[in-house]
Amino acid sequence: MRDVYAAGIGVTTFGRLEYPLAEIAAYPAMMAMQDSGISTVDQVYVANMGGARLNHQTALASAVVDTLSLTPAGAATIENGPASGAAAIKEGFLAVASGMHDVVLVTGAERMREVNALDATDFVATLTHPIAEYIYGVTLPAHAAMFTRLYMDKYGVTDRHLAMVGVKNQNNAMRNEFAHLQQPITIDGVLDSPEAFTNNPFVAEPLRFFDCCPVSDGGACIMLVSAEVMEGLDRPAVRLAGVGQATDSHTVAEREDPTELPAVRLAADQSFEMAKLGPSDVDVAELHDAFTILEIAESEEVGFFAKGEGHFALEKGETELGGAMPINVSGGLKGRGHPVGATGIAQAYEIVHQLRGEAGDRQVADARVGFTCNFGGFGNNVLALTFVREG
Amino acid sequence: MERNIYAYQCRSCDTVHYPFRMRCKGCGQNDFFEFDPVALPTHGRLLTFTFVHNLPAEYDVARLGLGVVELDNGIRLLGQLDIVEPVMGMEVNGRVSVVRHETYDDFFGMVFTAA
Repeated sequence: MRDVYAAGIGVTTFGRLEYPLAEIAAYPAMMAMQDSGISTVDQVYVANMGGARLNHQTALASAVVDTLSLTPAGAATIENGPASGAAAIKEGFLAVASGMHDVVLVTGAERMREVNALDATDFVATLTHPIAEYIYGVTLPAHAAMFTRLYMDKYGVTDRHLAMVGVKNQNNAMRNEFAHLQQPITIDGVLDSPEAFTNNPFVAEPLRFFDCCPVSDGGACIMLVSAEVMEGLDRPAVRLAGVGQATDSHTVAEREDPTELPAVRLAADQSFEMAKLGPSDVDVAELHDAFTILEIAESEEVGFFAKGEGHFALEKGETELGGAMPINVSGGLKGRGHPVGATGIAQAYEIVHQLRGEAGDRQVADARVGFTCNFGGFGNNVLALTFVREG
Repeated sequence: MERNIYAYQCRSCDTVHYPFRMRCKGCGQNDFFEFDPVALPTHGRLLTFTFVHNLPAEYDVARLGLGVVELDNGIRLLGQLDIVEPVMGMEVNGRVSVVRHETYDDFFGMVFTAA
């Protein structure tokens, strides 16, 4: 396989966007083309989960490639639930690594706030098993809540640990001008004060409002190129060195150990093996914290901390900006927002930004190796990417 | 007529599947429909639970109890809870009842009460 590099990146503001879905995908792609200086593209992949259901837009990639006046380049839409973004990056990686293409734009977009909150929740719940889960009224917060209760019982994680993740990530988002949530929060405000339970009501017990990511519109793009193309560019060389993907049972209830996320572990193992690196080599990571418990659980499954000890690392501040293993310095899904199809690419955007040393106030010092975990379904389709700064 | 929910037992290796699989996850047998339906037992143990407060629009209730139950034959499944104060590990009994109502359809699933 050929080496694959991230030549350009782009992102929209996350939050509520009042322009069409195809433009939400095209805008960051234009930024990525400007960033790299490349305007000739062989293939476009567009990651999106809900265009057909939420925005009355099918065949999104055909709309995007024409919006960008890139026809007759190849184009395809990748729908893989909340892991659509990283799944599209994997396709882009394979296209360049195989030698089939030299320049691939991988862009992702979602416009979820076109519908109300009930419909957005129901839309995401359509990824669950139609007969064994969906008909019961299950939501993704409900799955996360049942997982949280088991984790609390087995490992001693408390609602204070969950709040610590939420406060850390939402406050990290204050350093990210593109993040959805631009409001600082405190443990006192969401947990301890007399108003805390009014500020922070239950969504699915024991998870509360500030344990959950917001519903966001947004787009992100990464341009992947061959080594030959990268050599001609005046941009820092960041290589996509490892790609892993694994799946697990569609229904969450039937898993052998319901406190484990084996697809996260397998995807991370594959990604590190391909990159010839390990979790201890990682300087900065973006994990899929759609719910606060997931940052803790994923930080263990990918190998940053021993199983059941992620919350101890959190207590010690190891996962903060400036800590030994900074996680979600962009704000994560919790603070930056979670436009489902775009999230995996927004994670990659942040890591490339960090490894280039261009992340400003939230820069992790001397970051050379970065990692992302994009978690689809409730752990039933997971991708892990490892990026390395060269030179 | 009493309603049941069925699991599917492989005719080659006896592995029981819920929900249905086209292909056996135990032995990988690749013949079509080589499964026998077996009614799920109704007694089991509650492994974990939640009360969901932000529900899909079809649910006209303030909160909905959901839980994962391990049935006596080892099958684990999601169900609704008709239990005021659930406790992890408690024994429960299931009955098949309406779990979702849409304009022209009722959907049936397992609803658990304290045993």
